[in-house]
Amino acid sequence: MSGDINRQLSHMSEASSMGSDGNSSEDLEEDNEYYMDNTDDLDLDCPSKADDPEYFEYEPLQLIDAEGMLNEEIEALCTKLKVNPSTAKMLLFGHNWNKEDIIENYQRDPQGFLIESHLASRRKHDNLIGVRPTCSVCCRDFPPDRFLGVACGHMFCRECWDMHFQTQIQDGITTGIECMAKECSILVPEDFVCEILSQPKLRDKYSKFSFNDLIKSHPRLRFCPGIDCSVIIKAKECKAKKVECQACGAIFCFKCGLNYHAPTECDVVKKWLTKCEDDSETANYISAHTKDCPRCHVCIEKNGGCNHMQCPSCKCDFCWMCLGDWNNHGSEYYECSRYKENPNIANESMHVQAREALKKYLFYYGRWENHAKSLQLEEQTTAQIQSRTQRKVMNNEGTWIDWQYLLQAAALLKKCRYTLQYTYPYAYYMEKGSRKELFEYQQSQLESEVENLSWKVERAEIVNRGELENQMDIAEKRRQTLLKDFLEV
Amino acid sequence: MAATRRLQKELGDLLSEDSALKKSFRDIIVDESNILLWRGLIVPHMPPYNKGAFKIEISFPAEYPFKPPKVIFKTKIYHPNIDEKGQVCLPIINPENWKPATKTDQVVNSLLALINDPEPEHPLRGDLAEEYTKDRKKFLRNAEEFTKKFSEKRPAD
Repeated sequence: MSGDINRQLSHMSEASSMGSDGNSSEDLEEDNEYYMDNTDDLDLDCPSKADDPEYFEYEPLQLIDAEGMLNEEIEALCTKLKVNPSTAKMLLFGHNWNKEDIIENYQRDPQGFLIESHLASRRKHDNLIGVRPTCSVCCRDFPPDRFLGVACGHMFCRECWDMHFQTQIQDGITTGIECMAKECSILVPEDFVCEILSQPKLRDKYSKFSFNDLIKSHPRLRFCPGIDCSVIIKAKECKAKKVECQACGAIFCFKCGLNYHAPTECDVVKKWLTKCEDDSETANYISAHTKDCPRCHVCIEKNGGCNHMQCPSCKCDFCWMCLGDWNNHGSEYYECSRYKENPNIANESMHVQAREALKKYLFYYGRWENHAKSLQLEEQTTAQIQSRTQRKVMNNEGTWIDWQYLLQAAALLKKCRYTLQYTYPYAYYMEKGSRKELFEYQQSQLESEVENLSWKVERAEIVNRGELENQMDIAEKRRQTLLKDFLEV
Repeated sequence: MAATRRLQKELGDLLSEDSALKKSFRDIIVDESNILLWRGLIVPHMPPYNKGAFKIEISFPAEYPFKPPKVIFKTKIYHPNIDEKGQVCLPIINPENWKPATKTDQVVNSLLALINDPEPEHPLRGDLAEEYTKDRKKFLRNAEEFTKKFSEKRPAD
């Protein structure tokens, strides 16, 4: 709609600027400008590809589509290299699905490349020595035509191959099944396995497991980590970006499959999570739900996500994290997110250093944990908003659509708090220097705006809509700025 | 059962006069009712363990040879790769590396090689591995003393 109007208006403005008709009024031009401005705003609300540091192209696939996609890639390689599908599959699996590399290496030296890929042997073995050929696994004699083998030439009887495959598949090994000979790492291709396997049930298991292996090895495909979710996400490239599964709602990092963790990188967040697990006992004491009011010492339970606390008893405003006066947080310089290291630490004793290290960790862990908890509490806020909206609509105080902005505010708050939570592992592992200073500055800015937003969302009834939406805009801009500067693209 | 036939063949080879291991792996006892459990005596020929002998037990799973056997030391030994319970970390019988065509004599050979040449890079006893790398003389002295004190008597011949 608005697009059409704009087009019409721009036609009119062209007409008026050409001056063919002297009747064009100033009002019209003002309207025109108004609408043009409006479109600019719209553009800002949905950032374009270049603008949004979290932009990521991906699509959900069903199992069957993913299978089709893999088969296409396998077939393409078959035609190009003139190898059979089993070999093509193994080559793609073993070389990160990098078709260009495979083709180049194969065309340069087919035999050498197959040897390197464990699909061919440097020399053909033949262990059918003597007049009576014996299977070296079961120690039974068979006529020579009962023996089978793969590329390496190690020959065993059909029954032993069958047992070998059964044992391996039951252990979950499929694409990695090797020849039975000692120290032989030649891989057994799929067609050989399926031809020999005597149990149809295991053949299905083999296909299923090997399909899973293929998906996991593919750099542009990921299983959705959501519980009981069978969706496979296909992306254009393998990057540590946010994926939201439309089927189950799981939000995860495409590269590592863990919870989305921008601006922290995959290996850093893994290190951080392991550390938190290891140190959970030491960190436990700080995760208590209650604190005392810094002025009147009444015990206060945190039951909302906002860190800006107001003591119900003495009405003093303080910060949940540092118990300092909130006034220093809001307007001036928000310093609560910045850890102040002991400048003389290098000269202190081991004991003091250890304590300082723990103090530093607890500082970051406390903030990380606090945002995680606040996020959970924010869920309650959303539920409250929902029930409040329902009540208002029932009382004919506006329509459901009129109150949607509250839910949008709650959703945005969660998004900002989520990013904020993941800024703490990033900061913990960051080296001292101007970049860390910039990061912590932006982090504190975001922290401050998120708390403002949280405060306003919790008191949405007395805050007017414009003010709230303004705050939403500020908070999201801060988040975007931080990600733009620090998220590795 | 595949395991029985194969183990009987392997046992026959190990007990035969031509066995290459007849000096270093001997006194093999296998209960007739249970061919899946072998007992034997490891007789190393290199210092510091050549002052004694060591009882071991090899237990084979019912799925043998498609699954690997397990080796346990029944005699205490001062060695970085063998822990106080007698467990030993031997790559050749690790489930990930196991090959059905690997024979028990190859497993025993690999065990003898490990005894003579410890691998301190992946130890089961970190303290001994550290001693082995940092103070070889002390390690050899301790290991020899320990062997004299706790190991089995070496066969006369």
